[in-house]
Amino acid sequence: MKLVYKYILLAGVGMVSLNSCKRELLNPVPQTSITDASAFSTVSRIQSQLLSLYGAMKGGGYYGGRFVIYGDIRGEDFLNETSNLVTGSDVWALNPTNSATAVLGLWSQAYYTINVCNVFLDGMAAGGSNVVGAALAANYIAEAKLIRAIAYYSLLQHYARPYADGAGSKPGLPLRLTGIKGTGASDMARSTVAEIYTQILKDLNEAETGLPLTYSTAANNTTRAHRNTAIAFKTRVYLSMQQYANVITEANKIVSAAAPFTSATGVTHALQADITNVFKTPYTTSESILSMPMTSTSGDNPGTQNQLAYYYSKVVGTGEYSLNPAGIIADAGWTATDKRRTFISVTSGKPFLNGKYTVGSPYTDWAPVIRYAEVMLNLAEAKVRTTNTVDAQAVALLNAVRNRSDATTTFTVASFATAADLINAILKERRIEFLGEGLRNNDLMRLLQTIPAKGTAQSKSPTDVGYIWPISATELNLNTLMTDN
Amino acid sequence: MRKLLALLTAFLFFTGQLFAQKTITGKVTDEKGNPIPNASVMVKGTNTGTVSKSDGSYSITVPANAKALVFSAVDMSPLEVVLGSQTTISPSLKPVESVLAEVVVVGYGTQKKKEVTGSLTTVKGGVTADKPVQTFEQALGGRAAGVQVTIPNGVLNSPPVFRIRGTNSISLSSYPLIVVDGIPSYTGDFSSTAASGNALGSINPNDIESIDIAKDAASTAIYGSRAANGVVFITTKKGKNGKARVSYNGWVSFTNVFGLPDLLNASEYLSFKTSAVANNPTASSIVYSSVNGPDGQPTDTKWSDYIYRQGFSHSHSLNVSGGSDNTTYYFSAGYTDQEGILKKNDFKRMNTLLNVDSRVSKIFSVGGKLAYSNEKNLAATTSGSLNGSAFNTGGLGRLAFVLPPIISPYKNDGTYNINGAAIGSANIAGISSLSYYNPVVPLDLSRSNSENNRIQANAYAQLKPFNWLTLKTAYGIDYLLVDNDIFWTPVSADGYSFNGYAWAGAEKYKTSLWTNTAQFEYSFLQKHNVNLLVGNEQQRRTSSGYGIQRQGLSDLAYNVVQAGFTTNNPADLVLGENYLLSTFGRLNYNYAGKYFLSGNVRQDEYSALGVKKGTFWGASAGWEINKENFWASAGLNNVFSSFRIRGSYGKVGNIGGIGDYTPYSTFGSGLYGGSATLAFSSVGNDKLQWETSKKTDIGFSFGLFRDRLTAEFAYYKNDIDGLILNVQQSPSTGLPSSPPQNIGSMYNKGVELTLNATPISNKDFNWTSSFNITFNKNEVTSLAPGLPYILTSTSGLETVSRTEPGYSLGYLWVIRTNGVDPSTGKRVFVNSANTNVYYQYYAPTGTYNYSTQPDGTVRYISPTNATAISQAADAVMYANTQPKQYGGWDNTFRYKNFDLNVLATYQLGFYVYYGSNAGLHDQRWWNNDRDVLTQAWSKPGDANKLYARPVYGDNVSNGSAMPMDINVFKGDFVKLRSISIGYSLPKEILGKAKISSLRLYVSGQNLAIISKYPGPDPEVSSNGNTTTGQGVDRNTAANARTILIGLNVGF
Repeated sequence: MKLVYKYILLAGVGMVSLNSCKRELLNPVPQTSITDASAFSTVSRIQSQLLSLYGAMKGGGYYGGRFVIYGDIRGEDFLNETSNLVTGSDVWALNPTNSATAVLGLWSQAYYTINVCNVFLDGMAAGGSNVVGAALAANYIAEAKLIRAIAYYSLLQHYARPYADGAGSKPGLPLRLTGIKGTGASDMARSTVAEIYTQILKDLNEAETGLPLTYSTAANNTTRAHRNTAIAFKTRVYLSMQQYANVITEANKIVSAAAPFTSATGVTHALQADITNVFKTPYTTSESILSMPMTSTSGDNPGTQNQLAYYYSKVVGTGEYSLNPAGIIADAGWTATDKRRTFISVTSGKPFLNGKYTVGSPYTDWAPVIRYAEVMLNLAEAKVRTTNTVDAQAVALLNAVRNRSDATTTFTVASFATAADLINAILKERRIEFLGEGLRNNDLMRLLQTIPAKGTAQSKSPTDVGYIWPISATELNLNTLMTDN
Repeated sequence: MRKLLALLTAFLFFTGQLFAQKTITGKVTDEKGNPIPNASVMVKGTNTGTVSKSDGSYSITVPANAKALVFSAVDMSPLEVVLGSQTTISPSLKPVESVLAEVVVVGYGTQKKKEVTGSLTTVKGGVTADKPVQTFEQALGGRAAGVQVTIPNGVLNSPPVFRIRGTNSISLSSYPLIVVDGIPSYTGDFSSTAASGNALGSINPNDIESIDIAKDAASTAIYGSRAANGVVFITTKKGKNGKARVSYNGWVSFTNVFGLPDLLNASEYLSFKTSAVANNPTASSIVYSSVNGPDGQPTDTKWSDYIYRQGFSHSHSLNVSGGSDNTTYYFSAGYTDQEGILKKNDFKRMNTLLNVDSRVSKIFSVGGKLAYSNEKNLAATTSGSLNGSAFNTGGLGRLAFVLPPIISPYKNDGTYNINGAAIGSANIAGISSLSYYNPVVPLDLSRSNSENNRIQANAYAQLKPFNWLTLKTAYGIDYLLVDNDIFWTPVSADGYSFNGYAWAGAEKYKTSLWTNTAQFEYSFLQKHNVNLLVGNEQQRRTSSGYGIQRQGLSDLAYNVVQAGFTTNNPADLVLGENYLLSTFGRLNYNYAGKYFLSGNVRQDEYSALGVKKGTFWGASAGWEINKENFWASAGLNNVFSSFRIRGSYGKVGNIGGIGDYTPYSTFGSGLYGGSATLAFSSVGNDKLQWETSKKTDIGFSFGLFRDRLTAEFAYYKNDIDGLILNVQQSPSTGLPSSPPQNIGSMYNKGVELTLNATPISNKDFNWTSSFNITFNKNEVTSLAPGLPYILTSTSGLETVSRTEPGYSLGYLWVIRTNGVDPSTGKRVFVNSANTNVYYQYYAPTGTYNYSTQPDGTVRYISPTNATAISQAADAVMYANTQPKQYGGWDNTFRYKNFDLNVLATYQLGFYVYYGSNAGLHDQRWWNNDRDVLTQAWSKPGDANKLYARPVYGDNVSNGSAMPMDINVFKGDFVKLRSISIGYSLPKEILGKAKISSLRLYVSGQNLAIISKYPGPDPEVSSNGNTTTGQGVDRNTAANARTILIGLNVGF
C-alpha cells in the first residue's frame, strides 16, 4: 500500500511539473532579421536601410549586371554566342516574350527598388527623420529619390515607347510613390511616358537640393549619390527627352566651358588620363560618378549569370556575347593604337570585350551607372543639336574623350563639314567609349532609330513589334489595370 | 501482512499436493493443422517445460497442482490452456499478425479494432520490408484505400508524393503527419544536395511492426492542428515473451532503367539536323560534321550509356528479440547499400534499434526506445529530377537525351571533350558553345552528397495504481543531423566558372517532446464501457546550421572543402525554433459492444502563427447492426457474418510547413560594397492562423461467408478553408515576398472501397486477395480576391500548372494547337478566339512569324493587339493532373511451402505534361526523338504530322518556348508494382539445423506497366511534392525496374 502512495506522490510531482511549460517560447524573436516594428528605431538601422536601396539597385537583375547588358546587346555591336534564353538570347534577337527571363526579372527588380525607396521615404516621414536628425534626413531622402528616379528611367528604356514617339504621350508605367508593405495594392494603371519623366525630374531636382556636395571618401563619392550625381543623371534624362537646352543647362553646372573639362562644384569630376584605370581597383576615380560596388562576399556581387564579365569575357567568363566583327569594332576611324582597343582581344577566333571587366568568379568588377565622359558627350551632342552648327565646345568635348585614348587623332572644327557629321561622330564615339556599359539601347531609343540587324537577328524599325519589350506577364496577370505594349 | 497470508495459503496448498503428478501429451499445430516443431510447452508459473518434436508432438509431466500449460512458438501468439482432467491437449496456435491485427494504434494508445469508429487502415509492416526501397512509404502505394503514393523519379531516397484522401493543401505541406512510436517525425527531403535525403530513410522498413493510417476527423483529431493530411502511426517491433529469437533478412538486387526515349543516331542526326539548318537562311554558318573516334569509326554516342547503369544493391537486417514475463526486448541492426540507376547515385544506411519494456512491479512499468541511423545519400551531380532542378544545365536526365550523338565525351587522345564549362562541339561549326555540360566530367570528378545521422529515442514511465487508471509520462527526442558536401570540379561543368567550387553545410534539427497522459477505463452496469484519455504535450523544435562555400580551387589535386580555395563565403545559415503546446482528450463509450461513441478534442498553441491558439475536435459513432435482435430475427446473420455502420465529423488543422517567423514582416541584412544593409525582405501576417479542414466520413463494412469476403465502404468529404496562400501581388508593388493569408478554400470528396477475400483456403493451397479503389474529386472553390489563379512554375522557367477555382489543383494550362499545316509544315496555333494562327520561326521578307494565313503574309493581330501567340493570352485550362481513381490489387497465393505475392497498383483519370517531349523535338542543335523521321513535316502534302517543318533554331513550334497541348498526354497506368515468389523450407529439415524458419524468394519491382503515356513513366513528378505542380514530367530521369533475390531466416 505504501508503495502505491509513493508512486502517486511521484505522479503528483509529475503533474505539477507539467505546468512548467514555457509559454514564452510561443513568441520567438527572430535572431537573424529585424522586424518591421523596429526598422526605423536607430540611426544605424536607418543608415543600413538607406544602403539597402542601393543594394536593390545593385541587384543582378538590374544595375548589378543585366540592365547594363540588355542595354548593350539590343544594339548592333554584340553577337550572341550561346542561344541561351536565360542569358538574354531573346533580348539580343529582339523577340523576348512577356514571360522572358529578362522581361520578368528587370521589371520586378526595378520595381522592388522603387518600393524600398517608397517604404524608406514613408518611414522617414513617419519618424525616421527625427531619429537621424534633419541634416542626415535630407541627405538620405534625396538619395532615395535619386535611386527611385533612376529606376523609373531604366524601366522606361525597355517597357515604354521612347519619349520622342509622341512627346511622351504613349503608355508609360504604373507610377508608384507610396510604400507598399502588404496586400491590396496590385492594381494600378499606366501613367504616360511624359508623366513618368515628370516624376523622374521632380525626384532628381529634389535630390539635387538635398544631396551633399561631397562625401569624405572616394568610395562614397562613387557609390553613393551626391549633388553632381543628380545633375549628371539629369543630362541623360533630358537627352532621352530630346530637351537639349535643358541638357546644356544641367551639364554646364558640372562641366567647365573649356578643356580640361572638370566640375567646378561638388566632387571634382574629370576624365582620367588612362581610361583603363576607370575599370580597375579601386574603381573610384573621379571619372566614375556612380558605380555599383562589388566584393567577393556572397550577396555582395551580381550572382549567377548576371555578371558583366561572365557575359562579355571569354577569358574569365563564358563569353555569352562576342563583339560583332561588323559592328563598331570594324570602324576605320577607331585606330588600332586607341587605348580602348586594348579592351578587345580575340579568344577562340572571335573578338570579345575581354578587357573592360576582367575579374573572374565571383565577378567583382564594379558595374558603371554613369561616367563623366557621358556627361561631356551629352553636352556636346546637345550643343550641336541646339545650335545646329559645328559647335566649337562640342568638338572640344568630343576631342577630349577621343584624344585621351588616342593621341594620334585630334578633332578640330575643321574635321566636320556639317553639324550632322559632328553628331554622327559623337554618336559613334559613344559606341566606342561606352561599349559594354549599356548605353547603346538608350541612344537608339531616344532617337527612334531602327535597331540594326546583326548576325542572325533581324533589324527592328520603330514600328516593328519587338522595338520595345512586352510587359511582364506576371504584371499583366496580377495587375488588372495593366496593358501590354 | 497480506503477502504473508498468501504465502501461507500457498504453502499449505502445495504440501497437500506434493507428490501428485500426471503426463499430458498432444500435438502443436498451426491454424491449418501443420505441425509446429520446437514449440515451447511450459507449465504456467514454473520453469518446467519441454519442446515439441519435428512432428509437433510433445509429452510433458506436470504436477497435479499445475493450473495451465502455456504453448508458444516463433511468430505464433502464445496460448494458455487451463488444465482439467484431460491428458491430451493439441493446441492450434495462431500467427502473431492475426492477433495483432485486432489492435490498432490510435494516437496516445491503442484500441481494439472492432471498437474503432473512425476511418483507419492498418498495413502490416511486413509489406514494406524486403523491398528495394529506401523508405517504407515508397512501398505503401496501392496497399490501402485512400492512400496515394507516387514515386517521382528514379533518384534514390527521394520522398514520394504521399497523399491521404486527396491533396489537402495548396501552399502548406500535404504530406501526412508521420508519428513514429509516439513522436512526430521529420518528413521530406533534408538534403541540400543533388542526392535526395528523405528523413524517413532513417527507419529500416524491416523494423516496422505496423503502419496505421488514420484518415478521418475522428481518428486524426487527437493530433489537432497537424491532422488535416491524415496521420500515419508507425510502430516499431517490440519483444515478446519467450526465448530469444534471432532472425535475419537479406537480399541482393539488380536495378535497371526503363522507358528511355528512342533517339536519333549519329547518321540520322546529321541528315535531319542539317536539313533543319537548310530551312533557315540565317543559320547557314551552322555545319554539323561527323568525326571518327579512336577506332576510326564515326562517333555515335549513346549518352544514356554514360549516365545510367545497372545498379547492384544489397540489404541485411538482423534482429534478436525475446523476454521474460517482466521484461521484453527487441534489438536490430541493419545495413543496406543500394545503387541507383544513375551513376554514382547511392544510398547507404546503417541502423540499430533497441526497444525495451519492463514491468518493474505490478503497478509500475518503464521502457524506452533507442534508435540510431546513419544514411549516406550520394550523387555525383544533379539529376535534374528533384524539385527545382528540372532545367539544370547539368541535369543528367536531360543530358541523356539532349546531347548530339555526333560528339563524344572524350577526345581521341582520351581527354575530356570540353569547351570551358560546356561540352566540346568542335564538329558543330557556327555554334561557339552548346552550353550543356559533358556529363562524364562531373560524374567522374564532382560530388554532391548528404549524410544524415539520426537519433530517435524515448523513455516512458507508466503507473497503473488501479485497474481503471493508467498514468503515463513519456519524453522523447528526435535529432536529425545533416551533413551536406558538394564539390564541383574546376575542369568543366558547374564548377568551371568558379574555378572549382565546394559547399559544405552542417544542419541540426532537434525535436523534443514531453507527453503526459492519464487514461481511465471503466465498465459499469455490465454493458457500459467507458474509456477516457486526457493528456498534455509540449513539442519544441529547433533548427540550426552553418557552412561554407568556397571558390577558386588552389590545386587541381584538391577536392575537399577543407582544402585551399581563394574565395570563401558563408553558406547554409539556418536558424529557427518553434513550440507547440497542447492539451487533448479522448472519450470512448460503448454499450454492450453494439453502440459506439467517440470524441476527440485537442487544443494547440503554436508559435509560428499570428493567432496562436486553436481547438480541434472529431466525433464519431458506430453501430454493430448485426448484434441487434431484429437483424438476427430477419435472418440476416445467415448472410452477413458482420455488419457495421459508422460515421464521423470534425474539424482539424494544418500547420505543416509554415515558416517559424511567418507572422513578422522582416528586414534582412545584406551588403552594399562591404557595408551593412538592412533590406525589406519578407512580408508577414500577424493574423495568420492554421488551415482548417472539416472532415465528414460515413461508411459501412460487412463480412460474408464467415468473413471469407469482407468489404469496407466509405464516403468522405474534406472541406478545407482558410488555406494559407502566399498571395503574389503584382510585381510593380515591389514587395519582396508574397504575403501569406488565410484565404482560399478547396474540397476533396470521394468514396473508398476495399474488398478482402479468401477465395481458397485449405491445408495446401491458400489464396487471399485484397482490392481497393478510391474515387477522389478535388476542386479548388476559392482563392484570394484579386488572385484569380495561382501559377506554379517548373523550376522557375516553365509554367504549365495553374490552380484556379472550379478546377482541381495544378490544372495543366497550355496553348492549343491545330496540328501542322500540310502545305507549309507550319505549326498551327489556336488563339484565345479559336482562330488558327500559323507560325514560322524564320520569316522570309514580306512574311511574319505569326500569321493568320498559311503563307505568312498577313500579320497576326490578337484580340488584345498582340502580334504573337502567348501563354498569358492564349493558353486554356486544359487537363487535370489529380488522378480521379487510384488503388491497388494485392494477391497472395500459398501452395504448400511456396508463396506468391502479386501487387498491381493503378492511377487513372489524369494527365501528364510531358515537357521533355518538347525538348525532344526542339530544333536547335538538340538531339531529337527518332519519331521526327516519320512525324516531322517534310514536304507539301504531308498531312497529320505531329511536328512542324524542322527549321534550325525553332524552339517554339514543338513546345520548348511555350507549353502546348501536343505535349499533354493521358497518364493512366496500371503497374505490376511488385511480384514475389518464395519458398519456405520444410520445418522437418530445418529442425535438425536448429533453424525455425527459412524462406528464399525472388521478387521484381515495376516489371510491367500498362499505359499509353509516351514518356518513360507516367508516375512522375518534376516538382516533387509541390501540391500545385503535379503531373509534370520535365527532363526527369527515368524510373527503375528491379529484380531482387532474398532470404529470411529465423533461429
